[in-house]
Amino acid sequence: MISRSSLGRITQLNFKQCCYQPANRRGLAAAVSESFKFQTGEAAGVKIASRDLTGPTTTLSLVAKAGTRYQTLPGIVDGLEKFAYKNTEKRSSLRITREAELLGGEISAYHSRENLVLQAKFLRDDLPYFVELLAEVASKTNFTAHEFHEEVIPILTLHHQRFLTSTQDLAHNSAHGIAFHRGLGAPLHATPSTLSKYLTEEAAIAAYSAAAYAKPNIAVVANGADPSILSKWAGEFFKDYPTSREATILESSASKYYGGEERTDHKSGNSLVIAFSGSRSFATGSSYKPEITVLAALLGGQPSIKWSSGFSLLSKAVSGHPGATISTAHATYSDAGLLFITLNGNANAIRGASAEVVKTLKSVAAGEVSKEDFSKAVALAKFRALEAGQEITSSLELMGSGLIHGIKPLQLDEVARTIGAVNVEQVTKAAKGMLSGKATVSAVGDLYVLPFAEEIGLTFLIRYNRYLAVSARVVRRSLKEGPRLQAERRGEMELKFAKWEVSLMSGE
Amino acid sequence: MSQPSFTNFIIKRPWLRRWMTPLANWYTDAAGYRKLGLRADDLIPEESETVELALKRLSQKEAYDRVFRLRRAFQVGILSDGSVCFKAARMLIGHSDVPYLTPIIREIEAEKKEREDLESMVIKRRPA
Repeated sequence: MISRSSLGRITQLNFKQCCYQPANRRGLAAAVSESFKFQTGEAAGVKIASRDLTGPTTTLSLVAKAGTRYQTLPGIVDGLEKFAYKNTEKRSSLRITREAELLGGEISAYHSRENLVLQAKFLRDDLPYFVELLAEVASKTNFTAHEFHEEVIPILTLHHQRFLTSTQDLAHNSAHGIAFHRGLGAPLHATPSTLSKYLTEEAAIAAYSAAAYAKPNIAVVANGADPSILSKWAGEFFKDYPTSREATILESSASKYYGGEERTDHKSGNSLVIAFSGSRSFATGSSYKPEITVLAALLGGQPSIKWSSGFSLLSKAVSGHPGATISTAHATYSDAGLLFITLNGNANAIRGASAEVVKTLKSVAAGEVSKEDFSKAVALAKFRALEAGQEITSSLELMGSGLIHGIKPLQLDEVARTIGAVNVEQVTKAAKGMLSGKATVSAVGDLYVLPFAEEIGLTFLIRYNRYLAVSARVVRRSLKEGPRLQAERRGEMELKFAKWEVSLMSGE
Repeated sequence: MSQPSFTNFIIKRPWLRRWMTPLANWYTDAAGYRKLGLRADDLIPEESETVELALKRLSQKEAYDRVFRLRRAFQVGILSDGSVCFKAARMLIGHSDVPYLTPIIREIEAEKKEREDLESMVIKRRPA
């Protein structure tokens, strides 16, 4: 143990200086508005964005609006993702790998429900090489038959087998399917029928690639690169990007929330997902509902502090059911969102805990939220939103998809402000809205024990209040002209108008 | 396992080509495989990793046709006493004796060579 007096006086002084008065003190607001902003532009007809964070490394992403919701055949996005960095017209996949290794870079590809992302991380000076590589992969991949059969299909098969063993992935997938049916509800990964029926030829993937990587459908986004330098190299390497691709556009119908219940038997584990219609992503501009993000933080379930069960409502509510882990997430997409509560673990514990979850949600809807819990939830929601903007991979994808959809790019200071402005009534109203709508419930595992939606208190029937409102309206409408006008003035009517353009709701 | 070939060397020299063509035709005819309805590429020994992989990479139709030709050749060989030639097949083969397997073998060899080259690569730092 070092006593304080044993440290030199100078050290002590330094210690005081560093902790009591940081030399370069900056408020949060300053940090938000300066460093999160991307500079956007266009080079050779391709949308680009970059933020020049000081640091020795760069992350470069090519975001294509070609996730599973745009797929033309089931599993085709998976196939295209696995074809990334394979033989191109100019060089072999082996050479791509070895060159990236030599430069100390890291190349990867992944897809989400909305986007397909090619990503490269490397030392700052190697930007030209990787811009060229991404342009080449997107436009000049060969899609050879032997790579498809020898590399893509075996990897897809393994991937699929892993997916089948994860009850949580299955439950999330089925919840999306129930909630959105087609489009956003399309399975995120290849399914058995995909490999045997649909994904049998590389030609289909090549055709999809032409549409997916078409110029208007992609954005090149960099973190830690000088915008002018990125623009210069993108201009050079995307110059001979094929123009014949400019006509093809991938379409997906506007998302609609349905809801319902699905139960899947599974022998190795139990998962239950309870989901409700959420809010679309804040990157899309209009009609972002920050209260749902706050509600997700308020329900929580996963502790944000080590060695503690956490203070969120759900972790408190289910503490009597050890053996079940619980988490709440709010997945936001360009035109819809899904708030989902996931329970994993022992089937009996899940059965008990899920009833508590619904009880908690009902108490939130009844307005029984303490002020302290609420302010904690707002702080957590704000932190998560800002962290997502700072975290490189997610912010690049958000930024890229914002650029492609042609809407205002990531503005996190604004998001933090809207989240901060949420009040308890809004959250209560959101919870009420969820409970009165149709829930999505997906159970995967031991179906003998796992509960039905009705058993845990979620009902798909019309509630009594709703029944009264409907019947009253029918009575009013069947009156004679005079009394009807009077009665209709008394009857509360709401009209909501929303204009839809290219699967996005324009400003309300 | 692609076979060594002087083809390109000869084709580039018209006088040599004119001189060699009748000789080559006589040779392939005398080799006798066309009489059994086979193609030259059917004779490449299969017992090597490269050729095995190349055979896997054949399209379904090519692979089926190859097996068909081989089986036909066995049966013709057994039935005939050598004087009976397989006329129908020979008519057909004269035009279709194309290398269907060699290009794939060359491709695989190029891949292997690239891998070996990259493996034995020496990195030279450019003087800064």
